[in-house]
Amino acid sequence: MTLSILIAIPFAAGLLGLPFGGRQAKAVSLVGSLATLIIAGTLAVRYDTALGGAQFTVDKLWIEPIGVHWALAIDGLNLALVALTAFVYFCVVVACLFRDDERPGQFFFHLGFAASAVLGAFLAQDLLLFVLFFDLMLIPFYFLVGQWGDGERIKATTKMVIYTLSGSLLMFAAAAAAGALTASQYGMPVNFLISNLQNHALDHSTQHWVFVCFALAFLVKMPAVPLHGWLRDAYRAMPLPALALFSGVLSKVAAYGFLKLAVPLFPDGAADARTVLLIVALASILYGSALAFTTSDARLVVGYSSIAQLGFILLGIFSLTEAGAQGALMQMVNHGVVTVLLVAIVGMLAARAKGSEDLGSMGAIAMGAPVMAVVFLIAALANLAMPASANFIGEFLILRGTWDSASVFAVLACIGVVMAAVYMLRMYIRSMHGPDENDVEKREMSWREAATVVPAVIVVLALALYPQALLSRSEGATTASILDAANGAMVNPIAPEARK
Amino acid sequence: MNISWYLTVSAIIFTIGAAGILTKRNPLVILLCLELMLNAANLSLISFSRMWGNEDGQIFAIIVMVVAACEVVIGLGLIVAIHRRGLPVDADELSELRG
Amino acid sequence: MSLQTHAWLVLAFPLAGTILLGLLRPVLSGKKAGAIGTLAILLAFANGVAAVIKLQELPSESREVVSSLWTYANTGGLDAQLSILIDPLSLLMVLIVAGVSTLIHLYSVAYLASDEGYVRFFAYLNFFVFSMLVLVLAGNFVLLIVGWALVGAASYLLISFWYRRNTATKAGIKAFVINVLGDVGIVLGTILLLGATGSVDFLTVFNEAPQVFNSNDGTLVAACLLLMVGAFAKSAQVPFHTWLPDAMEGPTPVSALIHAATMVTAGVYLIARMHPLFELAPTAQVVGGIIGLLTLLIAATIGLVVTDLKRVIAYSTMSQIGYMIMAVSSGIYVSGLFHLMTHAFFKALLFMAAGSVIGAMAGEQSLNRMGGFRKVMPITYACFIIGGLALSGMPPFSGFFSKDDILLGIGELGGWHWILYVGGYIGALMTAIYTFRMIFRAFHGDPCEEAKSLEAGRLYHAPEHRNPADGTLEDTGVGFPGSKHHIAERSVAMTIAMGVLAFLATTAGVLQIPKISHVMENFLEPTFVGAKHFGVEIDTSLLLFGMGLGTVLGLLGIWIAWTLYVKRPGSAAAIEARFAGAHKLFANKWYFDEAIDFAIVRPFAALGRFGQRTVERVVVDGGITAGPVSLARVSSAAVRSWQSGLLRAYAAAITFGAALVLLYFLLQG
Repeated sequence: MTLSILIAIPFAAGLLGLPFGGRQAKAVSLVGSLATLIIAGTLAVRYDTALGGAQFTVDKLWIEPIGVHWALAIDGLNLALVALTAFVYFCVVVACLFRDDERPGQFFFHLGFAASAVLGAFLAQDLLLFVLFFDLMLIPFYFLVGQWGDGERIKATTKMVIYTLSGSLLMFAAAAAAGALTASQYGMPVNFLISNLQNHALDHSTQHWVFVCFALAFLVKMPAVPLHGWLRDAYRAMPLPALALFSGVLSKVAAYGFLKLAVPLFPDGAADARTVLLIVALASILYGSALAFTTSDARLVVGYSSIAQLGFILLGIFSLTEAGAQGALMQMVNHGVVTVLLVAIVGMLAARAKGSEDLGSMGAIAMGAPVMAVVFLIAALANLAMPASANFIGEFLILRGTWDSASVFAVLACIGVVMAAVYMLRMYIRSMHGPDENDVEKREMSWREAATVVPAVIVVLALALYPQALLSRSEGATTASILDAANGAMVNPIAPEARK
Repeated sequence: MNISWYLTVSAIIFTIGAAGILTKRNPLVILLCLELMLNAANLSLISFSRMWGNEDGQIFAIIVMVVAACEVVIGLGLIVAIHRRGLPVDADELSELRG
Repeated sequence: MSLQTHAWLVLAFPLAGTILLGLLRPVLSGKKAGAIGTLAILLAFANGVAAVIKLQELPSESREVVSSLWTYANTGGLDAQLSILIDPLSLLMVLIVAGVSTLIHLYSVAYLASDEGYVRFFAYLNFFVFSMLVLVLAGNFVLLIVGWALVGAASYLLISFWYRRNTATKAGIKAFVINVLGDVGIVLGTILLLGATGSVDFLTVFNEAPQVFNSNDGTLVAACLLLMVGAFAKSAQVPFHTWLPDAMEGPTPVSALIHAATMVTAGVYLIARMHPLFELAPTAQVVGGIIGLLTLLIAATIGLVVTDLKRVIAYSTMSQIGYMIMAVSSGIYVSGLFHLMTHAFFKALLFMAAGSVIGAMAGEQSLNRMGGFRKVMPITYACFIIGGLALSGMPPFSGFFSKDDILLGIGELGGWHWILYVGGYIGALMTAIYTFRMIFRAFHGDPCEEAKSLEAGRLYHAPEHRNPADGTLEDTGVGFPGSKHHIAERSVAMTIAMGVLAFLATTAGVLQIPKISHVMENFLEPTFVGAKHFGVEIDTSLLLFGMGLGTVLGLLGIWIAWTLYVKRPGSAAAIEARFAGAHKLFANKWYFDEAIDFAIVRPFAALGRFGQRTVERVVVDGGITAGPVSLARVSSAAVRSWQSGLLRAYAAAITFGAALVLLYFLLQG
């Protein structure tokens, strides 16, 4: 029951604020996001790690004729991601409090809608329910980009929607087929519960194409090279708060989808497609990084860097090892938080460079803004997986897992680690340092700007000091996710014992 | 009386209506031809109803008449609106919906 | 307080200093920040001393204490605790780092007094010391990497301290990226060792290693070589050295602290710390020895021709670290660490003195413009002479004993190590030449304008401020050097710091004199007792020969420099012209920068541009996006022609369609 309420709150807050003007809508959404955050936080604390497994479950038969359940639960996999979503939603709402968007009621409604859909996707324990929420996520962004976007927003919206929609339609078809085929294969009524599908594996050849459909949907959403064609336009057009939500959590739903659905439900398909996906991951890391250090658009540096970071996450998942999967999950959370910070910083930079987001039009902002420089530096170092940040632990685990099962990929991925240092520092130096040539405003963060970044900075630092808080809760769940696929791919998922 | 006579008449009226729609360009005439076609259908419905001795066909015919009445109202309204805007009252000229 | 508490306090004070300085930045005026920063490091040093005393109370075999705060990350076969390892080696490093840092903080209190970024400087400097102490105290690989990377970040921040200088930001990013490359090496090495031994804890890995690995086991050699990549990147060894000369863009105290005394010696520490592994991987040791030798020779040759005062010292640092790397890679750990310590003293001293000269020159660093400072800056001159003699390995200065100890140890090994032995002495000759070339050019000869001005009692200040590296005009606001310059002669804090170091540089040699004094060896015994070449018997004739040769070569080098730059000032140019090819090679730093630029930087930049301009447009927008789009467009165009908008055409289509359907059913029936 709590989980249903959790999903409903952001949407309800948005709906409640819809008829009102700016101030009321803001207040309602703030309360709503705070409530979401508190509930998610409480659940995260109350989750019994020792017990593990699915907790706080809700399971009601929802659409009887086709056996769709309204099934929600929190387990080790989605616990941190639900908390992340609530947190990012909260940060985004706080950031929006200080913006003067047109039609604020609708703006907040769409934000809340998106948050609800993401929460639903994370919590869903029924395949079709997941697909439903996965597709619902797109709707608010259609409006957010189309109505509040900049530049060529119509083109960007169309491109993004068609890209992701073609992916999710494939997934929808595959999900329906998976349920129906499982039912006919085992001679039982149609049932889309994930636990049920996991216990009744499809036959080998079916798994192949079903897995491919799911993988395509997720790869588009992440996005991974070469399916990232929509990213550039969409990122440029998206209003910043929407971008934070999109880049912070929506891309994680896709990565989570691999870990929660595609790999455990269709292990044979995953095992056979492993090499291809590892190559895609590596391509995303290297190519995304190369793009990030040649673009001069601050926003696109963030965008391309998230292609690279999601490449690492994908690499970790398809290393099919416990360490890799744990690292991937860790990185999802870290990247979510850091992205919020980076997006906020892009906004602050633009506010000082007469609205331009071009790195070439900035410089020497640190002169008047030392605190902002420190915040930016923390974000940049965390994003490049500086040791001492939690991102490092994530990346270390990913590399370790990949090394155990696919050493070549681990070594090549290291190039991406070095490149990350180049593009993040390049962004930092070109905006905050360097000669003062462009007549930018060099003012310190205002209290309003600080309010949007301080929570994220605190989380980044806290995770850096005690990453184990995340790792211990997800250990069993991640291992269970990749176990079957690992066996299929002849990979030893558990770190080998010392050879003696 | 053999039902085929009724049906023959119905078919002739229907064909006249259809031919009118295909050949005439004046919306008013097209509307008239449509009425012909509808009433041809009505005639068949009633004939069959008579033949089987139940009322379903008659009920259908009455519904068709009601629909026809509505349709005439809308159709005439459209024609008046077209006329008022000074657009040509010609079905071939009104091809705004070309793809 | 217990040993553990002291050790943790060593870490806590600099961290607290950083945070305090960061938070109090707006309210700290005058030199308060300097006082807080210096005090924090002094307290860390005091705790380090206390920890050493506590450690010495323990019996020799139990002087390896691990203390853990909490579980940092434990999953997927990785068990990383937030743990420190307290043993003689780590505490020796703590003492060197914290001790030299205290003095350099003290020096900076005056040196940066007029800089707008005063508080920020001390916050960074404290942060650096904290990171470095994490590095040396780390009890496992993960924490080692953390410290390793944090010093890299601190080094970046301090190199780019004057961040409005393009030259400084470029140098900063270069240093950072090469250091990240090193981090990656250590990370991969750690992953290899973790895979093989199942642990990241130092002591566990060291205990497991002999059981798990055969001698020269492929995995172990690979792991050691990867660790060495990290060590070489941090310690500026060929071919990862190109960042160090550029790092001289940072303020001079930074060069003294990070790029001479502490951070750059981390590679030496790493190899010494990992000695149980390296002893099992002789191949890696050979590689380390050769790289050390190459670095020491290449750096010395460049040092002979460089004209930037700080860069001469930087190349000399590279060269000296080459000796240390050579030593620890050959299993001569105590000598290597001994040289690390004495080098920290005399090199920090040289940098401080150089800072004083640069102060007198109003920021100018080129030796071509200096001259005749001997009379007007006697303290600075004395420090330079002491540092220079120690660096050249002249008795009885500390460098004599430590450098000799290394070459003696290597000579004892025999075999192919003779190459290292001979190379080491060739390097020693060059060291003496370039050191005294620098001193003679800066302090002897005709006084330059700035020296004359100082003679008149007035510290020279340039009418307009320019970046000495590229000549761009600057102001003196935050992000550029401050308006005033400071020299040792006029600042008590600077003089005290330099005096203490001069004393140490002169006398520290007594800690370890073959056959006479064994303080270092005894102190480090618990760490290195298992090492192969620890405490071997010394051949007296080799010892005497080495000492004699070292002294003679040092004197010869000084004599050559004297002849070339004082007695016959024009002869240096004649030699340059005579050996134009070699001079060009050395002056262009053996073209390492160009080679790296050509082999690595350009291909990646080209890849990025190619991706941005071509792949994105042709493949992604063209093939993947435009393919389906044009398919949809063509197919919709085909269907669209049916939508004529002609009502009667639709009607006809319906009629004929219906007729066809009817016909079909009639024919079927």
